[in-house]
Amino acid sequence: MRLNATTNMPLNRLPESKPDLKKDKQDVVIPAIEMTDLCKVYSGETPVNALHNANLEVHDNEFFTLLGPSGCGKSTLLRLIAGFETVTSGNLKLFGEELSALPPEKRPINTVFQHYSLFPHMTVLENVAFGLRRQGKSERDAKMTAKEMLDLVQLDQYAQRYPKQLSGGQQQRVALARALAPHPRVLLLDEPLSALDLKLRQSMRVELKRLQRETSITFVFVTHDQEEALAMSDRIAVLSNGRIQQVSDPATIYEHPENRFVADFIGDANFFDAKIDKVDGEFTRYRLSTGDILLGPTTEARSEGAEVSIFFRPEKATVSLDLTGGLRGRVKDILYLGDSTEYRIYLADQSEISLKAENLKDGSPLAEVGTDVAVSVDPNAIRVLSR
Amino acid sequence: MKSLRALLVTYAGVMPSMLMLVGFLVLPLAIILVFSFLTPGPYGGVEPQVSVAAYVKLFFQKDLYGDLTFNSSVLEIAFRSVKIAAISVLGCVLLGAPVAYYIAQQPKRRRNTLLLLITIPFWTNLLIRTYSWIIILRDNGLVNNFLISANLTEAPVKLLYTEGSVVIGLVYTYVPFMILPIYAALERLDAGLIEAARDLYASKWRSVTSVVIPLAAPGFTAGSILVFIPCLGTFVAPELLGGGKHLMLGSLVQMQFAAGRNWPYGSALAMMIMAVVLVCLTIFALNARKTGGGMQH
Repeated sequence: MRLNATTNMPLNRLPESKPDLKKDKQDVVIPAIEMTDLCKVYSGETPVNALHNANLEVHDNEFFTLLGPSGCGKSTLLRLIAGFETVTSGNLKLFGEELSALPPEKRPINTVFQHYSLFPHMTVLENVAFGLRRQGKSERDAKMTAKEMLDLVQLDQYAQRYPKQLSGGQQQRVALARALAPHPRVLLLDEPLSALDLKLRQSMRVELKRLQRETSITFVFVTHDQEEALAMSDRIAVLSNGRIQQVSDPATIYEHPENRFVADFIGDANFFDAKIDKVDGEFTRYRLSTGDILLGPTTEARSEGAEVSIFFRPEKATVSLDLTGGLRGRVKDILYLGDSTEYRIYLADQSEISLKAENLKDGSPLAEVGTDVAVSVDPNAIRVLSR
Repeated sequence: MKSLRALLVTYAGVMPSMLMLVGFLVLPLAIILVFSFLTPGPYGGVEPQVSVAAYVKLFFQKDLYGDLTFNSSVLEIAFRSVKIAAISVLGCVLLGAPVAYYIAQQPKRRRNTLLLLITIPFWTNLLIRTYSWIIILRDNGLVNNFLISANLTEAPVKLLYTEGSVVIGLVYTYVPFMILPIYAALERLDAGLIEAARDLYASKWRSVTSVVIPLAAPGFTAGSILVFIPCLGTFVAPELLGGGKHLMLGSLVQMQFAAGRNWPYGSALAMMIMAVVLVCLTIFALNARKTGGGMQH
């Protein structure tokens, strides 16, 4: 069961959207969600500071992702927006209107819960109609809109079933239809794909993205899966320890992380402590802790002798048996990954780096375990961070 | 021989529970059933002479000329018993459900303490606890003294020896049996569902009525049955708080075995209570199936 037909659905099949607050003030673009110095402290015997001074703007009609490891505060942030947690301090605005004092039922925001939280005593149709009924729609209208939403997620023939009678993927789509049916200003998605198997997860990524485009509803998506975040988001906020580390589009997050946490959490990276050896125009020579010299881009405001941290992504480097240039090392392990092969290589100081080469031909390894190799990296692929 | 062995293995496992059922349920019930078809002995007990007189006596009485005429008093008592038991169930739900909800909301450690507190009344004898309600409800009791001193009434309000006082006594006695099953149902309830309801524009109250209560229905059902049945057969509260004026089936049975010395009649009455309970439960079950027709539990 795929959702592919959704692309053909005309937009007017969706319930009417509420009057657009944005039109009240011309030209000034009001963010869908705006938080200023938002803090959340869970009180208790040992108060937990779950969110420190978060400043964030989510644009209207944007697929925005909160990404981070478990315990980073992303779920807290989502629950603050939904209204399940109370704000400790700071401001939280929805299209310019302060939200902090409103209970969840007064916020035009709906949530797709991690474990779906479908009402087990209601049919699929009743589940989807629930929010519409509570909004004051007549039973007939609510059921009609609910049917349309089930159409949209291709579950119309399951309307009279109970959630228990559906598969995980189907329950997931009911949860999606239920949250979209009242046409919220913002849709929150709390790791909605984590319980699905890989294939389904991958097809749901495409469908979620498509639904977001078609409904023009702002999506705020929470995940710990960096691949998911990169694939679906217009912009990503990376969180760690209750602090927002970086907010940017996926390519910038991956290619130009602002700090070591972001670089490490998203994708793989080979880090080195390094000292600036010589600045030479566009490029700079970096002396690694191994003693090797690596050529990288010149960064502003860093002078010769400065201590920095540099890294490159495994797929940006190439391995070669010609030992004339680059970093010298010995192959420790070869991991065949199907589409690519990963080489784990010991450097002179016993530190280990990882390289990835696409298997363009038959996938036979470029080097064997135990052979000495040279690793070369395009200077433009080297990234420099403060230490 | 294989089948015999298989049978033995199957039945050996369930033997303890079978023995318990026979010893504590089937045997006493059989004795009552047999007694109800015998003749009363002069000083209580029974004579081994088969008779249906006890059942006839449930609905008919001998008039002055020795003819049988219809007597509705037992039926009236049965009806009153069902009514009082039903009101008590309602009272227990109204009082017990919020308490159960409150306990279920507490942190885990606190919950156990609160549940223990709920069972504390059981540590004291029921008779004494019921007597203390007399002190509270009588004309110069706690309630009336308060009402008079607060100038809410001049003469004491008649509280004791009414059907109301019987209901109060029954609710007081049996409310723990309502709280515990409802609590058990609520504790299992996924808190995420309440959040989902709130997220979908249901007010606090609305999320309780449309999500919490339907999902806790099995707890309400169990609690209602656990309260209804003992209420129907009770005799302590109607005797002490009803002053014997508001006779219930339980009191009637107790009278036959004690002062009445008519064991067969008492046994027949006991069988009738069972019949009433069965009828009520059947109606209840049919009703539950109709309203909760879609439940897929």
